[in-house]
Amino acid sequence: MDFDFTDDQEMLRDSVRRWVERGYDFERRRGIVKAGGFSRDAWKEIADLGICGLQVPEAQGGLGLGAVDAMVVMEELGRGIVVEPYAAVALVATSLLEAGHEAAAAPRLQHIGEGKEIVVLAHEERHSRYRLAHVETKAHGSGHAWRLSGRKIAVPAGGVANAFIVTARVRGAVDDADGVGIFLVSPGQPGVEVEAYPMQDGSSGADLVLNEAAAIELVAPGATFAALERAVDIGIAALCAEAVGAMDKLVAITVEYMNTRKQFGVAIATFQALRHRVADVKMQLELARSMSYFATLKLGEEPAARRRALAQAKVQLGNSMRFVGQQCIQMHGGIGVTDEYAAGHYFKRLTVIEMTFGDTLFQLGEVSRRMQTTAGVFA
Amino acid sequence: MDLAFTPEELAFREQTRAWVRDNLPKDISDKVRNSIHLTRDDMQRWAKILGQKGWLGWGWPKEFGGPGWNAIQKHLFEEETALAGAPRIVPFGPVMVAPVIMAFGTPEQQKRFLPGIASGEVWWSQGYSEPGSGSDLASLKTRAERRGDKYLVNGQKAWTTLGQFGDWIFCLVRTSNEGKPQTGISFLLIDMKSPGITVRPIITMDGAHEVNEVFFDNVEVPADQLIGEENKGWNYAKFLLAHERTNIADVNRAKRELERVKRIAKAEGVWDDQRFRDQIALLEVDVVALEMMVLRVLSAEKSGKQSLDVAGLLKIRGSEIQQRYSELMMLAAGPATVPLRADLVAAGWQPDQDAGAFVAPLAGTYFNMRKTTIYGGSNEVQRNIVAQTVLGS
Repeated sequence: MDFDFTDDQEMLRDSVRRWVERGYDFERRRGIVKAGGFSRDAWKEIADLGICGLQVPEAQGGLGLGAVDAMVVMEELGRGIVVEPYAAVALVATSLLEAGHEAAAAPRLQHIGEGKEIVVLAHEERHSRYRLAHVETKAHGSGHAWRLSGRKIAVPAGGVANAFIVTARVRGAVDDADGVGIFLVSPGQPGVEVEAYPMQDGSSGADLVLNEAAAIELVAPGATFAALERAVDIGIAALCAEAVGAMDKLVAITVEYMNTRKQFGVAIATFQALRHRVADVKMQLELARSMSYFATLKLGEEPAARRRALAQAKVQLGNSMRFVGQQCIQMHGGIGVTDEYAAGHYFKRLTVIEMTFGDTLFQLGEVSRRMQTTAGVFA
Repeated sequence: MDLAFTPEELAFREQTRAWVRDNLPKDISDKVRNSIHLTRDDMQRWAKILGQKGWLGWGWPKEFGGPGWNAIQKHLFEEETALAGAPRIVPFGPVMVAPVIMAFGTPEQQKRFLPGIASGEVWWSQGYSEPGSGSDLASLKTRAERRGDKYLVNGQKAWTTLGQFGDWIFCLVRTSNEGKPQTGISFLLIDMKSPGITVRPIITMDGAHEVNEVFFDNVEVPADQLIGEENKGWNYAKFLLAHERTNIADVNRAKRELERVKRIAKAEGVWDDQRFRDQIALLEVDVVALEMMVLRVLSAEKSGKQSLDVAGLLKIRGSEIQQRYSELMMLAAGPATVPLRADLVAAGWQPDQDAGAFVAPLAGTYFNMRKTTIYGGSNEVQRNIVAQTVLGS
């Protein structure tokens, strides 16, 4: 039992942190957000850090690194609320591709690792509301020739993606997990329409509208839902880590403000009403960090234990993010609600993270359903 | 980074588990599992069993007769004893005063006091709070005046937990009014059989006699029972507070009590009520998060690489969780906990009782647990400390 990082992980952290601090400051981010929420240049710089292939297998030219390494990267990207879709591509999509047919997946994995391709999961639908098995998009066909029809929403970086990993119903009722298939769809083909828009957090997103769009099967039937669940749990762990980084930075910004801002002739940091709020914020931050570690360290467990742990983590993170975000805005007063100031942008990102891959109430339902007699880190 | 314990740590856990299974008296663990008050004899019996094994001072280094365990081993010991339903070790002797005697006592004091603490023979109490000095502890007024080779002690201590059983009491006393309040305090060890000491019960709202007032009326204390230097007592008290950092969260007991919440909820039929069950699920998340925070502290202690200053957070969170599980247990049984059945509580769990949970003590426990956010430095004082760390001033 130890929570120390290796020297390699510390180096990884340093290199990402250096880039975020020097190469991705708030003004640059503002420009990127204004231009639609994705920068080719920034993506290339991320690729140059060597982290796009972090979890791409070595056979496909990647680093084949583990969950803790991903956590380290995500914490640092979170500190700078980087809008480029690192987790969506390098962690979530990569996991699904790894579970897929090699012929279809290997070239994609290689390109992801080289930073040349943006591949993202397009799963959420207007009525799915976090339920992974709820898929209305339909698929028909066989072998390699499939046709997909339906609409996916809030697809990360949808407007710039080179390929989509799309969940679609092969058979069964609308919430039948066994009937979900996972396919690869390329944009720019007949029946594939991408309606791009900015997201609330400044990143880019899109609706993906499919109308008898050509698709190839990525994951073999029978293994699809397990692969989807695993990829989403990897995504949850990544978001938890990103949120910890973002909260860390937001708290630091808030503390600095409280020590500088004067009212009634003294720094507002001297007021006990605010000091106790700061203590409560620190509490939520440290509980969140603890559960982010927990999420990452439980990714390797068997599916039931993994799912239980990740749901527990997302509940803690959801509650922490909302509390820390709201209170840090509040403690700033008026400046906190302005677009000009950074705090609001952190708050918006934290809010979107809560609503990605299952919000707090949804995951609480998971925890509730999956409770056992015993409880605890090792239960 | 790794959650798994090492094979050595796992083996240690197995040995501890087996020993506890073979040595913890069942009548005592039955009481603990049903939150029935333990008698002095119950607590003393378990203390002496541990003392014989050399584990009552489980946090002690080898040079003072302790097992010399590292942070992880201590945690595993606490976990195994808690999950098995062992009583909490009364901390005033082995956890609180002993480390102070080890760090600041003379060799004579160490020889005189430590063996009785280690064996469980001598019961220690803590004399810190006073009627006028709660959170503002440094304002304490109990006076000790030097008269030759003795101190003459006059004043009053309050909230002395289990002081009715105490053989000895360690006290913070005022020896000077010069300078800041903190700089005129000394740390005295006092025999509770000394003439002039009166212990009076304070009955808490659950009807229990757990805390006391202790009056000192011209009590003579030999000067060789002063710890360290006169007027340096505040430093020793702070050392004591810093000593047990993770233990205060009591996360292992929380895990045991969470299991009990689930048992009671099932027996009372609210386990299948989604609204109630979600409250248990939230508590479960709280308990896991607290345990992870405790493990982070232990890991940092073990590796010595990074320092983690979350002791205040552990106290706040641990105490809130204690209150919450006692609250949920009571609410699970609902109206069945409203009758004040001291007779049933006293009789304890009877095998022929109805198939439900043993609900008689639940409301009393809930009332009793309000203390946890008040004692040991109120949670508001803890928030002041946390804020100071975060804000840097």
